[in-house]
Amino acid sequence: MMNFLRHKFEMCKAVAFVTYKEWSAYRTHSLVSVFVGPVYFVVQYFIWTAVYGDSSTLGGMEFQQTIRYFGASALIGYLTMDFADWNLQMLVQSGKFLTFTLRPMHHRFFALSQKIGHRVLGFFFEFLPCLLIFSLLFGLDMIPQHMGWTVLSVAFAFLMNFYVNYCLGMTAFYFVQANGIRVVYQLLGNIFSGALIPLSFFPEAVQRIMMFLPFQYTNYIPAMVWTGSSSIGEMGLTIPQAVLYQGIAVIFTALLSEVIYRSSIKRFTAVGA
Amino acid sequence: MRYLKIYMTCLHTAFSRAAAYRLDFVLGNLITLLSNIIFPLVTVLIYANGAKFPGWTMWEVLLIQSVFSMSNAVASMICGSILWVTMDHVQSGRFETVLLKPLSPLFYIAAANFDTGSIGLFLGGLAMTIISASFTKSSGAWGIILFLLLFLSGAAVMCGLDLIMAAISFKWVGNSRIPEIFESIKEFGKYPLGIFPKAVQVMSALIIPVAVVGFFPASALLGRLDMYSLLSVIPCMLFFIFGIWLYNRMIKAYEGVGG
Repeated sequence: MMNFLRHKFEMCKAVAFVTYKEWSAYRTHSLVSVFVGPVYFVVQYFIWTAVYGDSSTLGGMEFQQTIRYFGASALIGYLTMDFADWNLQMLVQSGKFLTFTLRPMHHRFFALSQKIGHRVLGFFFEFLPCLLIFSLLFGLDMIPQHMGWTVLSVAFAFLMNFYVNYCLGMTAFYFVQANGIRVVYQLLGNIFSGALIPLSFFPEAVQRIMMFLPFQYTNYIPAMVWTGSSSIGEMGLTIPQAVLYQGIAVIFTALLSEVIYRSSIKRFTAVGA
Repeated sequence: MRYLKIYMTCLHTAFSRAAAYRLDFVLGNLITLLSNIIFPLVTVLIYANGAKFPGWTMWEVLLIQSVFSMSNAVASMICGSILWVTMDHVQSGRFETVLLKPLSPLFYIAAANFDTGSIGLFLGGLAMTIISASFTKSSGAWGIILFLLLFLSGAAVMCGLDLIMAAISFKWVGNSRIPEIFESIKEFGKYPLGIFPKAVQVMSALIIPVAVVGFFPASALLGRLDMYSLLSVIPCMLFFIFGIWLYNRMIKAYEGVGG
C-alpha cells in the first residue's frame, strides 16, 4: 500500500513539476492577476462602503467581514482556478485523448497533477502578491482565524472545482463540442458560487437549494471559513459542519466523475487523433 | 463611399453566416445576454436586503447598468472581434494576409468580423433600459438628445478600449488575459460615480472615461446630468482616435514570425 502511494506521489510530483515549468514560460499571464485582482477588490470596497452606509450588518454580515470575504474569495480563486473541462473537451474533440488511453496512468489523475503544478505557479505569482497587496496596501487582516479549517476547506474547494470541471469536460464524449454546457455552468457558477455577492444575501430557499448543488463549495463556503464566520448562511452552519458538508460533496462528486468516466469512455471513437 | 459599400457587404455576409447556423446564433446570443446581465442581480439583491446606493433608487442604478450593457453590445458588434482576430493572426504569423489586402488593415478586420453574437445583448440591454426608465422620472426630449450624444461617446470609449487591447497584442503576443485588465477598469463605469473617491471620479470621467459608458447617459435620461459632464465627450473622442492611432502604429511592430 505504501509503495502504491509512494508511486502515485512520484507520478503526481513529476507531472506537476513539468506543468509548473511549462507554464512558467507564461508567468506574465499569471501576473495579470496582480493588477486585475486588486482593481476588482477596490471596486467591491467602494460599492460595499457606500451600500453599508450607517448599517452595521447586511445579509447577516458586518462590513469588515464582507470586505474580508471578497479578499478571501479572490485569493481562493487563485488557488483553485481550473480549466480541466476545456482541456478534456479539446482532447476529446481533437482525438488526442487517444494518447492518454494508451498511458499507464488514469487521465483524471494526470489532469489533477497538472492542476497541482499549475496552481503552485498561481500560488507564487498570483496568490502571494495579491495577499501582500491586500494586507499591506489595503490594511486588511487576511490571516484566517482558523488556519487548519481554512486550509482543509480550500483543499476541498480545489478538488471540488476540479472534479466538477472534469465531469463537465466528459460531456464532450457525448456532444463532442461541449462549449455551451461549460458556459452555462460558468454562468450559474458566477451567480451561485458567491463570487459576485455572498450567498447570505440570497433568499433562504435559494440558500437551501444551494446545499445540494456544487457551486457554493468552490467559493462561498471556503471564503466564509476563511473569514472565521461562526454562523454560515441562513442554516447557521458552524465551520466544522460547513467543511464536513464540503467534504461529503467532494467525495460524492469524485465518485460521480468515476461513474461518468466508465460510461463515457465507451463512446470515445478517437476520430482525428 | 467604397469603404461603406465594403462594410455593408461584410455586414450582409455576417448576417448570412448567422442565418446559416440559426440555432448557434440564437443560443450564442442568449448566453451572451445572460452572462452580461448577471451584475444587475447584485444590485437587485442589495436593495432586496434593505440596503441602497445613497441617493439612488434600484431602478436608477439598473438604468446605469442596462445602458452600460447596451454600449458594451454596440462596441462588441463593431470592434469586439478585432482583439481576438489580431491576437490569433499575430501569434500564428498570418497577419500578412491582412496586410496584403488593398484596404486599411484595421478597417478590413473590423468589417470582416462584425460580431452578430452581441445582438441579443443589445436587445436585452435595450429592454432593460426601457423597463428601468419606465420606473424612473425621465427628463424629456432634451434628456434623450443628451443621452444619445453621451451613449455614442460611451460606445466610442468601449471601441477605443478594444482597439488599445488589440494594439497591445502585437507586442504581448498570445496573452489571452489582456481583456481582463480592461474589463476590471470598466467596472468603475457600472455604478453611480459618486460612490468612488474624487481621484477615481476624475479618472473615470476624463482619463479613461468609463463613466461615460453607463453613468453619464443614464444621468442624462434621469435629468440628473451636471452640464460640466458634457465636457467628457472630448476625452471620449480622443480616446477613440488614440485607439485607432495606436493600432495602426503597432502594426509596424509586427514581426511576421511563423507565417
